[in-house]
Amino acid sequence: MAEEKLPSKTQVPASAESQKARQKKAPEFPILEKQNWLIHLHYIRKDYEACKAVIKEQLQETQGLCEYAIYVQALIFRLEGNIQESLELFQTCAILSPQCADNLKQVARSLFLLGKHKAATEVYNEAAKLNQKDWEICHNLGVCYIYLKQFNKAQDHLHSALQLNRHDLTYIMLGKIHLLEGDLHKAIEIYKKAVEFSPENTELLTTLGLLYLQLGVYQKAFEHLGNALTYDPTNYKAILAAGSMMQTHGDFDVALTKYRVVACAVPESPPLWNNIGMCFFGKKKYVAAISCLKRANYLAPFDWKILYNLGLVHLTMQQYASAFHFLSAAINFQPKLGELYMLLAALTNLEDIENAKRAYAEAVRLDKCNPLVNLNYAVLLYNLGEKRGALTQYQEMEKKVNFLKDHSSLEFDSEMVEMAQKLGAALQVGEALVWTKPVKDPKSKHRTTSAGKPATLGSNQALGQAMSSAAAFRKLPSGAAGAQLQKPPSLPLEPEPTVEASPAEASGKMREK
Amino acid sequence: MAAASSSDSDSGRAESEASSKWLDAHYDPMANIHTFSSCLALADLHGDGEYKLVVGDLGPGGQQPRLKVLKGPTMLTESPLPALPASAATFLMEQHEPRTPALALASGPCVYVYKNLRPYFKFSLPQLPPNPLEQDLWNQAKEDQIDPLTLKEMLEGIREKAEVPLSVQSLRFLQLELSEMEAFVNQHKSRAIKRQTVITTMTTLKKNLADEDAVSCLVLGTENKELLVLDPEAFTILAKMSLPSVPVFLEVSGQFDVEFRLTAACRNGNIYILRRDSKHPKYCIELSAQPVGLVRVHKILVVGSNQDSLHGFTHKGKKLWTVQMPAAILTMNLLEQRSRGLQAVMAALANGEVHIYRDKTLLNVIHTPDAVTSLCFGRYGREDNTLIMTTRGGGLIIKILKRTAVFVEGTGEVGPPLAQATKLSVPRKTRLYVDQTLREREAGIAMHRTFQTDLYLLRLRASRAYVQALESSLSPMSTTTREPLKLHAVVQGLGPTFKLTLHLQNTSTARPVLGLQVCFLYNEALYALPRAFFKAERPQGATQKELEVLLKDRGLQDLLLPNCSC
Repeated sequence: MAEEKLPSKTQVPASAESQKARQKKAPEFPILEKQNWLIHLHYIRKDYEACKAVIKEQLQETQGLCEYAIYVQALIFRLEGNIQESLELFQTCAILSPQCADNLKQVARSLFLLGKHKAATEVYNEAAKLNQKDWEICHNLGVCYIYLKQFNKAQDHLHSALQLNRHDLTYIMLGKIHLLEGDLHKAIEIYKKAVEFSPENTELLTTLGLLYLQLGVYQKAFEHLGNALTYDPTNYKAILAAGSMMQTHGDFDVALTKYRVVACAVPESPPLWNNIGMCFFGKKKYVAAISCLKRANYLAPFDWKILYNLGLVHLTMQQYASAFHFLSAAINFQPKLGELYMLLAALTNLEDIENAKRAYAEAVRLDKCNPLVNLNYAVLLYNLGEKRGALTQYQEMEKKVNFLKDHSSLEFDSEMVEMAQKLGAALQVGEALVWTKPVKDPKSKHRTTSAGKPATLGSNQALGQAMSSAAAFRKLPSGAAGAQLQKPPSLPLEPEPTVEASPAEASGKMREK
Repeated sequence: MAAASSSDSDSGRAESEASSKWLDAHYDPMANIHTFSSCLALADLHGDGEYKLVVGDLGPGGQQPRLKVLKGPTMLTESPLPALPASAATFLMEQHEPRTPALALASGPCVYVYKNLRPYFKFSLPQLPPNPLEQDLWNQAKEDQIDPLTLKEMLEGIREKAEVPLSVQSLRFLQLELSEMEAFVNQHKSRAIKRQTVITTMTTLKKNLADEDAVSCLVLGTENKELLVLDPEAFTILAKMSLPSVPVFLEVSGQFDVEFRLTAACRNGNIYILRRDSKHPKYCIELSAQPVGLVRVHKILVVGSNQDSLHGFTHKGKKLWTVQMPAAILTMNLLEQRSRGLQAVMAALANGEVHIYRDKTLLNVIHTPDAVTSLCFGRYGREDNTLIMTTRGGGLIIKILKRTAVFVEGTGEVGPPLAQATKLSVPRKTRLYVDQTLREREAGIAMHRTFQTDLYLLRLRASRAYVQALESSLSPMSTTTREPLKLHAVVQGLGPTFKLTLHLQNTSTARPVLGLQVCFLYNEALYALPRAFFKAERPQGATQKELEVLLKDRGLQDLLLPNCSC
């Protein structure tokens, strides 16, 4: 045996011909793996045509016994979308060498891609028996369990994958589980660890930023989004999120410059045009706002946030009939938002008092924390001479205001405060003591002069202004579904609000009479 | 204008030529060289101070493997090779003068060593030990102690469980039909079973001195997941290390007798780092993608992955940075400008560019007429800094780095992206829009009311039509069980010609519907139909049948569309 192991020290054959002659004497079996290296080199440089040619040649020569050639052929099939064929070839590989965990892993992967998650988990478990310390098996098992909705098992497997070797992808999947379970804080913990592990991964940074944004931790959100943008200044998600935060703080010009980058990269993004529209709205360029919002609406006709914003801008433009259209369309898609009904009460301006009252009633019923709803309703009732009703709404509003004051330090919109004080005086409930904070807003001096005496409270203009301030009022943490805090819809963070009631029914209620 | 613009572009080209760091020395699109970076080597093969380029050429389509040696732009020698070369390397075998390097070509299970471009020595990988059980079985078969069928069963048993894989002979035997087995056994039983592996990659490692012209060992990576270090003179195996997967790229530092580090990028997407005294990998980098190139720059390992990115790792496998590439990486190699002490990574991309990176900063971009598939940098001819590239179409490009050229960091993109300067395309305010807005402000209430009234009327009409359809049993679903049919019509087009598509579905799973006829009832004054009455082929269980009819409007406006019935 020892002699056999020693390398044979012979001269290099003079030419290829002499070797051929030798081959003729004793027909040898070709070495199965002879061209594996070549197949692999072609495969990794994505030269699939050359790769297939070598595979074909190799399989012919070895009569289909070359396992690696079949393996790569299957990989190429899978890349080309022929998953079923790839599955069959991987199964052939698994027969050729049953001790190889790699083949089983690929069989499972193909099953997974075919949507057969249950079968995939079985094969992965089989593979795990052969190779216990493979993060990929653990990770993919975890992903399969996510699709099978067995989140606990999925978490176990993903955690063990992390113990074997840390990968960004595993963190992302774990975060996803927590989000699916609705646990934002745990998800943030996971993403924090992930960012610690790979601080330059823009996807992780963006997601973490968005999660903070959802929780209202704006400082941290901005920090992470900013980091994401330093590493990749064209990151679409991060720009949109950061831009929306700038908008909330009134930096419309900065936000607009940032959006230009996105407009170049993803010109057909509805959230982008929505945000651009709202930037113009903030800059009081209403016509530009409307055209941008209409583009957004054209791109995503079923997005209620865009419709809401369109309604809002049209209200400001005193185009009440159009506003009514957009708002009622928005309600069709999102029948559970109180503010929408409040805006729908633009019917007041269309001299449809009866339906306006119904809209307010619905808004008050649905809304839990926005005092504007009650204030506007109170104003309407007061103008109609229903002092009792107005008083009830006024008190309701005070409750909400007190609640908000206890729970956050945000300032109230000055217009709203002024209007409330006037109404309070008119209703003779004495000095409204809730407004203890002196409001320092230079703008209020110019604007509120129009709201003159209590008797003119109900004038279209005043009400319109009160309503438009609803947009600015979304800074309140309660406005979680804020129209300006628009997020790219492609993120899996926010489970979209499910529209339970059938749209026709909800709108029917409004239009019945 | 035209003249001005052309002169502009001319001056632009001249400027780019002037500001470029490279001199175009040679470009031959028809050089007919098809190879990988691992099969390129630069060496002073004749000891005359004139460096030559050695190419292990696979030939077009990998059909005609050849060893080519180039001097300047011309082919010096060209000789056919017995098999496809996996790797080429030049190394010094011994201390004797003249110190001309030997050339090693790895191909199949052998390394062919050339000196002075003459065949000098052939090293073959040792045979792998066969599975003892398998050996036993064939011995028994040789003495006719077992029949082919039992042999087959036993071999299958070994294949299921054994650690050591079967030989080709046994595998081939297992594929045979019952009738062929006897003959096969008789033909092959007398031969000893063999297991042979092949070389996948090769590199060189200094033996005991770090000097440029020190004696080097060959390091081979094999298909059976092993790394071998060969003695430069005796060609005996000095060290053997095993890996968890098949090595694809090797990177070496240090000296064999002192301390060395072997880095192997493997087919399972992992990169293993081995030290001198370790038989098994010490560190492991999991890429979760396939590595397409491995280059060591000082102490940093730069790995290109097939997900279009470049990663930097420490020599202990800790991730340092990641750079995204604009296109897929085809091959990578090291750029070393000794005069300025610069080491950088060159990555050839599928979009016909070669990017040069120092760490994560882009130093330079070279545009090439075709995608570069292999490249190397070093002394060629008498010029120190030469870049040699071969392209996908078999072309050869030689560029020389200007002696004045200095690579400066930060010449890549900095600051805000270009897109930030472009204006948003927001449509302008039109006269029509303003008029309409004003009108709505004035007559909003009336508009709203009219709209609401019309909406109610529309709904009323729709309900009426629906009731009528129900009453006159024009509903699309057949109510009798004898004719389980569903008819659904869609009208497409804006006129005057419409397309009317009828979907006819058999709603029952069991009952076939036979002899169906489709008849259109319509107002002949308004519409024209090519055929108002025809036989429909029967829709089979739960399948849909689509019928298309062209319908012509006679120019009269009417909302009524023809009634269809079966």
